[in-house]
Amino acid sequence: MSATAATNQPVTPAPSRKRHLTERARAERRLGWSLVAPAGIVMIAVSIYPIVYAFVLSLQRADLRFPAANKFIGLDNYKTVLTSPLWWQDVWHTVVLTVIPVSLELVIGMALALIMHRVIFGRGPVRAIALIPYGIVTVVAAYSWRYAWEADSGWIPHLLGLKSDPLTSTFRSYLAIIVSEVWKTTPFMALLLLGGLALVPDELHEAAKVDGATAWQRFWRITIPLMKPAILVALLFRTLDAFRIFDTVYIFNQGAHGTETVSILAYNQLLNRLNLGLGSAVSVLIFLMVALIAFLFIKGFGAAAAPGGGER
Amino acid sequence: MRKLVALSAAALAALVTGCGGSSGGAATLNWYIFPEPSGSFAAAAKQCSAASGGRYNIVLNQLPSDSDSQRTQLVRRLAAKDSGIDIIGMDVNWTSEFAEAGWIKPWTGANKAAVTRGVLAGPIATATWKNTLYGAPLNSNTQLLWYRKDLVPTPPATWAQMIQEATALAKQGKPHLIEVQGRQYEGLTVWFNSLVESAGGRILSGPSTVAIGPAAALAAAVMHNVANSPGADPGLSNAQEDQGRLGFEKGDAAFEVNYPFVYPSALADTPKLAKVMGWANYPAVVAGRPARVTIGGENLAVSSFSQHPAAAFAAITCLVNAQHQTVDAVKGGLPPTLSALFDSPALAKAYPFHALIKQALQNPAIRPQTPAYSDISLAIQKGLSPPNAIDPSTIVKTLRSQIKAALSSGALL
Amino acid sequence: MKRSPREITGWSAAIAIVVIASLIPIVWIISLSFKDPSTIADGSFLPTKWTWTNYSGIFKQSLFTDALRNSIGIALIATLISVVLACFAAYAIARLDFPGKRLILVFALAIAMFPPISIVGPLYNMWRNIGLYDTWPGLIIPYMTFALPLAIFTLSAFFREIPWELEQAAQVDGATPFQAFFKVIAPLAAPGVFTTAILVFLFCWNDFVFAVSLTSTSKAETVPAAIASFPGASQFTAPIGSIAAAAVVVTIPIIVIVLLFQRRIVAGLTAGAVKG
Repeated sequence: MSATAATNQPVTPAPSRKRHLTERARAERRLGWSLVAPAGIVMIAVSIYPIVYAFVLSLQRADLRFPAANKFIGLDNYKTVLTSPLWWQDVWHTVVLTVIPVSLELVIGMALALIMHRVIFGRGPVRAIALIPYGIVTVVAAYSWRYAWEADSGWIPHLLGLKSDPLTSTFRSYLAIIVSEVWKTTPFMALLLLGGLALVPDELHEAAKVDGATAWQRFWRITIPLMKPAILVALLFRTLDAFRIFDTVYIFNQGAHGTETVSILAYNQLLNRLNLGLGSAVSVLIFLMVALIAFLFIKGFGAAAAPGGGER
Repeated sequence: MRKLVALSAAALAALVTGCGGSSGGAATLNWYIFPEPSGSFAAAAKQCSAASGGRYNIVLNQLPSDSDSQRTQLVRRLAAKDSGIDIIGMDVNWTSEFAEAGWIKPWTGANKAAVTRGVLAGPIATATWKNTLYGAPLNSNTQLLWYRKDLVPTPPATWAQMIQEATALAKQGKPHLIEVQGRQYEGLTVWFNSLVESAGGRILSGPSTVAIGPAAALAAAVMHNVANSPGADPGLSNAQEDQGRLGFEKGDAAFEVNYPFVYPSALADTPKLAKVMGWANYPAVVAGRPARVTIGGENLAVSSFSQHPAAAFAAITCLVNAQHQTVDAVKGGLPPTLSALFDSPALAKAYPFHALIKQALQNPAIRPQTPAYSDISLAIQKGLSPPNAIDPSTIVKTLRSQIKAALSSGALL
Repeated sequence: MKRSPREITGWSAAIAIVVIASLIPIVWIISLSFKDPSTIADGSFLPTKWTWTNYSGIFKQSLFTDALRNSIGIALIATLISVVLACFAAYAIARLDFPGKRLILVFALAIAMFPPISIVGPLYNMWRNIGLYDTWPGLIIPYMTFALPLAIFTLSAFFREIPWELEQAAQVDGATPFQAFFKVIAPLAAPGVFTTAILVFLFCWNDFVFAVSLTSTSKAETVPAAIASFPGASQFTAPIGSIAAAAVVVTIPIIVIVLLFQRRIVAGLTAGAVKG
């Protein structure tokens, strides 16, 4: 774009133009930096600084209920967390609540994206209605599903003729939480996939049709390979988002019945017990796991993007 | 830029929240306590403010409804040295934690004498930490056994009998459920504590000594048996006090272990059922050994960060006096802490079961008194939830090690 | 275009499934909010006895009205500030050439993936020491931080599409730079800015983790956090009706926004994701 701007400049003698450009470039740099600075500083101040601070806290015994007993204890908090069966159970719960919903969302989201993309009538209204769950506050969605499943008030046990309270068994609690999560976030997944679908040229489909390919073959051979980058982006965002699941579990049962996730665990240590040291150790570990997942995905991107090429 | 942002944000916040500065000489005292629906706390706050002759003005503020969230809000704000709290409505089991952290002021001298005179020993013990009084007992509470007189002619004396009778009723196809608090929350600890002490044991024998033993095994076995008997409510592992009340009012239950609030509620919602609603002592664990029931209730404390501590002490002395405790009891269904009130005619009328309550409060089971109480309670809840999955053969060992870890505040919970 | 009846039936069925699946929980919570307290536990999908009491109840409580005020105020301020800051940054990223441009984008992407739970502990400890705990700025600041990446990505995708040479052209035609910007560029940029503002607002409106951790009273508690601690009619009763009514009240503006601006939201999210 700066190139376009440059061609519009009135023509000036060569030597002075060169000096002029470097000056311009320098001014442009300064302007660029000063425009980006406010946003950059806010982001650093409220994310990098706290995570460093969390690490510092995690090396201390810092329990606000026993202010007199605070002291530096090295890696003891990490030892406590990593040797606690509770931590590993919660990691497992979190993995289950990440992998299952995200897989379901990918499948359902793809179907929804295809419907939104190809629907032959009522496109606007269908898209708008399908988007509603995306906008709904997660807490509201969780309450609606929780009350739907509860034995006394809910319509689901009534409909299915269940005798017992579905939310008292671990399996059904997971089922209910997963349904709630999938309902709430599938539209987001579908939107990201829709962006990818728009990049698949219709001509390719037409050509394949002429060659006698079935719709199923065209989907797998044309749509999916071309959408690979979009699918990976969608998976990355949803996986990281699902891994920090908190709201839905908190509203359903605050982690009872074996549904406690690592975020709930960190919250309990930090803000119910005010045990900032131990809680920060959990926080730092969650941060590291999220970073690891992101790293693996981005390595995956590299592999996927290389043959197909980036978008630009 | 950042400064500007912070400034404008702060200015806006001040604009929105900057209301209610105290006017003139009267000190504004913010009283935070659980939401009391009958309005008896609000009335007491008004009357005491009026009676102070312009010295203070008590503003009643509501905490959330369940005790875990109440505590969460209070500890976070107190740790932030929030001066917006003057009078704290404390659950009986928070005293040691709040006192040890330095968040509440001790009661001494004339103030102490005024709020302990004529008070039952149980409530005073709950407000005391390291031989110092930290709260003024406002009300007390304890659970009774409620049962259907039309189904069970004589109430069961022990848990084992209750399970047997529930099983028999189930076979006859009659309402047979036992309503009790089985959700993973404070109520589960209350149930366990009552059972352990009824069996003659204790959870802790000192602020940091675990005393879990054979009595705890008996207690856990009772919970396991209830949860796996035909009398178990299908929703047991999600049941709090209110689910119990609703279950009983629905007519599916023959027994209910709960606080006295269920009686006025039944009178209002299902008068027919209330007629056949009987009450009895909390069931024993060991035949012949009367149960010791966990004491509940609230104590009022003065925040260390209050700007008007002297006025706050005076205000509390007024709020807990006999006149207001009577109103709280009759209108609000909160049993008093003053011994003499149990024999007053007003109370006798509202509490046909007042003798049972007084009896239970004279020798109550107190939840473990330690600054790490909330951690211990959490450890117990986790170990015992869901009740139908308790393994009576290993539970004592598990609980013992988890409570030990919780005591050192070095355990993940 | 002619469509075969089979195609029409197929699409109708697909649309019906999407509509029903999207709306059932919403209809259910609305239905709950209109149920009379005595019938709230009857388990029927639609109310058997209709009542307004749940709504009149929550609007009588300062607990809810304060939370609603906090939610609206905090979300609006956080949206305003983060969109302004993001406009600066996105303009620089889309139009200017300077080293460190990629770094900013990578950094913003990293923040977007950041788990909020990892910083609520330190934030609580900092806020309690400097007096920001349970205040509006105490929530606005973290909301801005987490909204900025979203805003920067969406906006820079939009800004890249703007034909900036028009600005030059206008100046050649005699407009001052100021006029050129406001007459030519601003109208072109406005839809993107507006879309970004909607997305950021939805994000702030939706947050629960920060709200439940960094506030505790009607001074700053937002609706999602307030709902979760609604008191019942007595110390031990559950407030299903009030929760449902409050949930409906915070959901209505969202549904209106989504229905009105569906096209923009789709454009905004797909643009940000694909270009990012």
